[in-house]
Amino acid sequence: MPPIRPSSKRKPPPDGFSDIEEDLLIFSNKMKDAQNAPSDNIPKHQAQWPIFQISHQRSRYIYELYYEKEAISKQLYDWLLKNGYADAALIAKWKKQGYEKLCCLRCIQTKETNFNSTCVCRVPRAQMKGEDREVQCVSCGCRGCASTD
Amino acid sequence: MQPQPALKSTYKAPPLPPGWTEHKAPTGHTYYYNAETKESTYKRPVTAAAPPTAPSANPASSFWQHQAVPQINLSDPNVANAFMSQYGQPQHQPGQQRGGRGPGGRGGSHARPKPQPIDKPRSKVAIPGHEPWILVYTKYGRRFAYNSAKNASYWRIPEKLMPAILELDKARIRQKAEGKALDTLQGSEGPPEKTDGPEEQEKDYDSSEYEEVEVTDDEDGGDGHATKRQRTEDPDQSENNGPVEFTEEDIAAQLAAMGADYGEDYEMGQDYDDYDHGEAAPQLSDDDARELFKDMLSDFNINPYSPWDTLIEQGRIVDDPRYTVLPTTKARKEVWEEWSRITIQELKELRQKQEKKDPRIAYFALLQDKATPKLYWAEFKRKYKREDAMKDIKVADKDREKWYREYISRLKLPQSTLKSDLKKLLESVPLSQLNNRSSASSLPPAVLTDLRYWSLDTKSRDEFVEGYIAGLGPPPDSGAEQGAGEDEATKKAKEERRKRERALQDRERAVQEEKHRQEKKLQFERARLREEERELERAMQVGKKGLQSQLTPQEGERFI
Repeated sequence: MPPIRPSSKRKPPPDGFSDIEEDLLIFSNKMKDAQNAPSDNIPKHQAQWPIFQISHQRSRYIYELYYEKEAISKQLYDWLLKNGYADAALIAKWKKQGYEKLCCLRCIQTKETNFNSTCVCRVPRAQMKGEDREVQCVSCGCRGCASTD
Repeated sequence: MQPQPALKSTYKAPPLPPGWTEHKAPTGHTYYYNAETKESTYKRPVTAAAPPTAPSANPASSFWQHQAVPQINLSDPNVANAFMSQYGQPQHQPGQQRGGRGPGGRGGSHARPKPQPIDKPRSKVAIPGHEPWILVYTKYGRRFAYNSAKNASYWRIPEKLMPAILELDKARIRQKAEGKALDTLQGSEGPPEKTDGPEEQEKDYDSSEYEEVEVTDDEDGGDGHATKRQRTEDPDQSENNGPVEFTEEDIAAQLAAMGADYGEDYEMGQDYDDYDHGEAAPQLSDDDARELFKDMLSDFNINPYSPWDTLIEQGRIVDDPRYTVLPTTKARKEVWEEWSRITIQELKELRQKQEKKDPRIAYFALLQDKATPKLYWAEFKRKYKREDAMKDIKVADKDREKWYREYISRLKLPQSTLKSDLKKLLESVPLSQLNNRSSASSLPPAVLTDLRYWSLDTKSRDEFVEGYIAGLGPPPDSGAEQGAGEDEATKKAKEERRKRERALQDRERAVQEEKHRQEKKLQFERARLREEERELERAMQVGKKGLQSQLTPQEGERFI
């Protein structure tokens, strides 16, 4: 999640940016709030959940605008990616089969886990064992992002 | 408010016989101890000759009971005999089976009475129109009325609140029914089957322990609540064990409670039911529903670019009646997606058709308005940085500076030069764009984006341009009329829309009619019921001679 480039240091956006500017502003306000929220009384690992979630939502928003609704031009899409509005690596995963709903890249990073496995949120809900299937993953608070869910 | 002891609030336990005392075991069970006989029991001992509780108060036996249990005083031997001859059940005195097992084939697990669960208030709703009153729902799906001003609560809902609460119920049931699809109906059986639903549960409800409490709301026992109530024994079992569980006071109290309530319960059940009828009868076609939903989205001026979550967060569309024409959120989202894709395409086309407004025009207008040779570029920039034309991202700052300098230098030129420059500019524009039909206020962009046009002061420039235009010839004939086709399309769209709205109105009217009919039917049914009840009551008046008096009902002495 690189920071969004400041407007003074970037090229002017291509056409169509004004249509989505308002929604992007809402996202960036939400992000600022999440960053400034106090994290004293929540578990340490949960402190970054809202940031991951908002980043995911914003990436998803841009992904859907370009690939599903075809609402924005290629130039604008590239410009948005370049300027950090969406996570290009995450979107690249969404295009792969089985990763359509992936919550964050950390959840498929197997090298960081003890048993070299993916995160619990990648397990399809139907295959979950045990009583409580309502788990939230440690890295981003995802409740399940398997494509069959 | 004290809903905690609610389970016992309305039904007063009969007084203990002399010698018996009530205690609480460490497990929470209540037990009774007789100090004289050193006997202890979980069953509440009852005095042999307890007075029957108001048998004439309400002559109601319930039509939904498995067997209509009449209000009779079983302590009277005559009546008891008659009762036995009618129902063929062994009669047990409460005292006899103390210590032993209940006769009805109860398992060992039932040897002890269950501890009564504690009910708790769960949610509350203000009753509209009766301000200090609140309707409180409990954990077990029951409810009571609470007056916060007087700090008083009632299980029996006061008469004056009845209509308001009925309205509330209707609204809630409607919400529920619209939220769920009609497929909650059980498969092949049509709507009539549905009638049994709520009543079955009421039956359940009435035949077990809880009925000591007077419960005024069985109508919302639609689907969810019944399962929430902790039901462990089936009604038949408890029916068989009737005498074990119930003393005659219990029966009497139960009957009195049911008699008071059943009218209302029945009505509520019916109400729920008839709502389903109304819903099922006029059905919007799928396409119409989708179109209605799209119309709503267009009406609210929803930004087609914004994400679905923001739309829901704003919550403006949720209150619209058209929001519920689609049954599930998934379907709504799907339609929204389709709508936004189409709308964005339309917007794109519209923009392509539209002439692009050049950002330079606004900037030049600003220059003409504000720029003077007295200001350097840096000063000008600082002074007017708040203007929209200065903030426009499409124009680079470098260009702005260049144009500013050029404009200032042109201001120093004599008027005649400026005029001849403007004339040259106007002459360079082809006749198809600039002719005697165009006006001075709507000039082609080729003119407007040139500094030569802006460097003259407004008044003399407009005069000059008007004079020039007047001297031009008519436009060359090439343009076709595209307007007509456009009109046709919009007219068609409007027509379609009107049709859909009419369909919605028709549907609502049909629902109303259906409701009306159901109400009438309900009235009729109630009257019939009352009649039947009266008959039953007449049948139950058994005299000393037992069945004989049944056989010859005209012989008049009755002993109750």
